[in-house]
Amino acid sequence: MTTLENRPDSDRRGDDGTDTGRRGLGEGGATLAEMLAQRRRQLTETGCYAGITDPHVLAEDPVRAELFHSRIMAALIAGRETTRLVSASPFVREVAELAIGIYTPEGDNIAQSIGIQVHIRCMGEVVQWMIEHDYEHAVGIEAGDIFWCNDPSVAGLHPADVYDLLPVFHDGELIAWVCTVTMEMDIGAVSPGCMPIANVERATDGIRFVAEKVGTEGRLRHDIELKIQYSLDMSDIFLLDRKGATAANLKVADEIGRMIGEFGLDYFKTATRELIEVERRNQIARLRQRTVPGRYRNVVPLEYYMADQPVSWLPARKDHIRLVPIEMRIDGDGALTLDFEGAGEWGWHPFNATPSGMWGGFAFTLVQSIAYDGRANLGSLLPVDLRLPLGSVLNPEDVRPLATASIWAPVIDIFSLWCAMASNAFFMRGFREEMFTYRGGSGMQMAGYDQYGMRRPLLAAPTGNFGSGATGVCDGIDAGGSLITAEIDLGNAEIWECFMPYLDLGRRLEPYSVGWGRFRSGACVPTAAMLHRSTQTIAAGVVGGAAEFILPNVGLGGGYPGGKRFNVVMRDTDVPARIERREPLFHELGHPAHPTYEMLDAEVTHPHHMAPPMEVNDHDILVTAIGSPGGYGDPIERDLDAIRVDLDDGLADRQIAEDVYCAEVEFDDAAKEWRVDPQGSARRRDAKRAERLARAVPVEDWWRRSRRRLLDHDIDPMLSEMYASSMRLSEPFTTEFKEFWALPEDWTPGEGRP
Amino acid sequence: MSVSKDDLRDLYAGRLGWDKTKAIISGPKDDDRFETAVEVLQEQVSWPERILMPLREHLYVVESGGERVVKCDCGHEFGDWRRNWKLSALIIARDDEASLEEIYPGLRRPDPALCEVREFICPGCGSLLDVESVPVGCPIVFDALPDLDTFYAEWLGRPLQGVRRCEDLTHEITSRWGQAEL
Ligand SMILES: [Zn+2]
Repeated sequence: MTTLENRPDSDRRGDDGTDTGRRGLGEGGATLAEMLAQRRRQLTETGCYAGITDPHVLAEDPVRAELFHSRIMAALIAGRETTRLVSASPFVREVAELAIGIYTPEGDNIAQSIGIQVHIRCMGEVVQWMIEHDYEHAVGIEAGDIFWCNDPSVAGLHPADVYDLLPVFHDGELIAWVCTVTMEMDIGAVSPGCMPIANVERATDGIRFVAEKVGTEGRLRHDIELKIQYSLDMSDIFLLDRKGATAANLKVADEIGRMIGEFGLDYFKTATRELIEVERRNQIARLRQRTVPGRYRNVVPLEYYMADQPVSWLPARKDHIRLVPIEMRIDGDGALTLDFEGAGEWGWHPFNATPSGMWGGFAFTLVQSIAYDGRANLGSLLPVDLRLPLGSVLNPEDVRPLATASIWAPVIDIFSLWCAMASNAFFMRGFREEMFTYRGGSGMQMAGYDQYGMRRPLLAAPTGNFGSGATGVCDGIDAGGSLITAEIDLGNAEIWECFMPYLDLGRRLEPYSVGWGRFRSGACVPTAAMLHRSTQTIAAGVVGGAAEFILPNVGLGGGYPGGKRFNVVMRDTDVPARIERREPLFHELGHPAHPTYEMLDAEVTHPHHMAPPMEVNDHDILVTAIGSPGGYGDPIERDLDAIRVDLDDGLADRQIAEDVYCAEVEFDDAAKEWRVDPQGSARRRDAKRAERLARAVPVEDWWRRSRRRLLDHDIDPMLSEMYASSMRLSEPFTTEFKEFWALPEDWTPGEGRP
Repeated sequence: MSVSKDDLRDLYAGRLGWDKTKAIISGPKDDDRFETAVEVLQEQVSWPERILMPLREHLYVVESGGERVVKCDCGHEFGDWRRNWKLSALIIARDDEASLEEIYPGLRRPDPALCEVREFICPGCGSLLDVESVPVGCPIVFDALPDLDTFYAEWLGRPLQGVRRCEDLTHEITSRWGQAEL
């Protein structure tokens, strides 16, 4: 094993100092570029990873194979915990937004720790990018080298995710990579600093490492450390995270050395590759077991409100919406294609997706929804084809000039709707318990002086406040439904208050965030932060999903999507006077038509998800209320007892019970409990069905009316432009759109009507 | 591992109890689930046609008079499964503030200038079969078009009678409607 102690002084020398005669760092002296080309060729020619048409080594001794895999997983999970213990950032310590993976010399993922499952393929893409750019010769790759990458035009979903990559050598041969990702609070971007919206060109995205060698012999270069200290407000947090990541990578590399000692190098090489091929086969088997071949569809509108953003690249300053149709095809052989034909054009904003970002989104969704047995790796993704039209918002021709602070936004919306599509497939196969949806959420972030007088980005990112979608057999989970990071946590309010100049006013499940249905979605927890002891702060939006005024289409089988998400900004509040008079403050939202905060005397605004920066002061309050994903089934079929429990738990009110679930309910004042009347409820439900039949019209009538609106160009100009953008890029989209509405050949979307 | 018919019936109804439900959610998936599901569902419907596939809550693809049609558990038929059943349903289109407020009050309401919430209702029983939330002007989404022949022949190994090409035939409806507009 070659670690720091016995590093070869050149790639031609083995551990014993003899000349190995090797040309490259790879197997048998091959260059990494040759190995990568061979892997790609083998996959094309045989359809199997690394040309392994008959994986047998793992199967021949299953106990040994299990031990081998467990050792890898144990090493990775221990590595992840190492990073958490060294790190000081609440993103890493509280939210645990990190993961660590092990890769083949060609950058193919073998295994990944628990944690955020986004980067399985992305971190390997960095390795491949380095190989393609001849790092082996032009930069040099040696044991103990530390490479950093956070440039999404190489790979990844935003510059805040920093990848630490470490090559692992044995006897002069590069045998693996260990890669760790952590999300950073500060990367030196334009205010508000971590995922800024008023940011359309790459320079305002913050510090970028384009797969740079920043250290050798397991040590960060002194000049790089100084660069961090001179570039970031929170350089100590950044450097501690890096130290955590480096420590974890070295720890896993050492464990790999021990494993080779025990299992032998040949077994290590063969078994790691077989793990990928076996997982490829398992993914096909899972799809064939749980779904039905066929065609599945959904549409995702992406809302980008950039007109009021204070950016100097003026062409960016316009509001627009882009449509992304998704078509999933499952073939007889178990291959899965996601075709985005009809996606609208890219734009000057930080919310364009990239192929790497789309793979990242698909990776975490697939791992959490289908490939969740702890063996996910590159093999899970191999039987999948993503078709991303060039020039679209999912695949700009050149990402490099663009800001990339929130590739997440479109990716989350797209794959949350993909979950609804996969859910339909699970339903048809009988696996209703596998049905599931999730939803992104946006909110407010800040930058300015914290309570200790330090100027810095002030992004709090609790991920545990999302409700999950209903399944086909039970309600969703309240405040636990972030698919992106499975082991999610809100974090402790008190810890966030140490990091942020605010006080948390309340954390309560919000009944009107819910997606109604026979089974309801989980409820979300709104956040309400009151600024406290900051001398100067600006607030702006933070975008974790591009849906705003259009609800995402995540209702399942007659269930509704959860309500619209919203922000509330309260400035010049009478909170100081209220505190003086010992009067109640605002702690929960109450009914969305007459929210409880109306009791405060304040200047209230409701900025959209891309809120431009605004000044805020002590005692100002920022509220973010996210919306849940989808309910399942007709809400008037909801179990009456479940309605009673929701009422008693404060997860429904009388209006929801009576108008949405159509139950007859009464509050028993003496017992302080809700009562549901079965007969009265049955009558209400019968009446509701009759009312629907009386109110509803044949779709043909609605079609004629809607068609007339299109012919008259009587739709919002932003939607006209949205359809026009998709039509500019896609002939098939244009044809099908006109076919559905039976529009004349020469019809165009026109200007629309405000 | 198989899930019994009784357990599956209760699971679908939401009355299996959490311990058993959790075990099914977390356990290895059963290879014969489809067969068990179709048996359970076939017993629950009041009509005799063979269920080829459950399509969504209330709806099934069934064999009816040599054709494969979408049928509600109430008995209402929506036509060939290759034509989006939604076009043969009734619709309540929530496209203004008042109708959206009924479901999404106050701050939770989407913007009717941009968003239309379409409720598809069964003409036979008044059940809410689907809620579709999309941009105004968006064609109706054809959620799922299962490839029945490939599924039965290649995945289950028991081909169906009379192969039907799995293709989207929804345009047959819209072109007929379009003819009437001319
Ligand atoms: Zn019906």
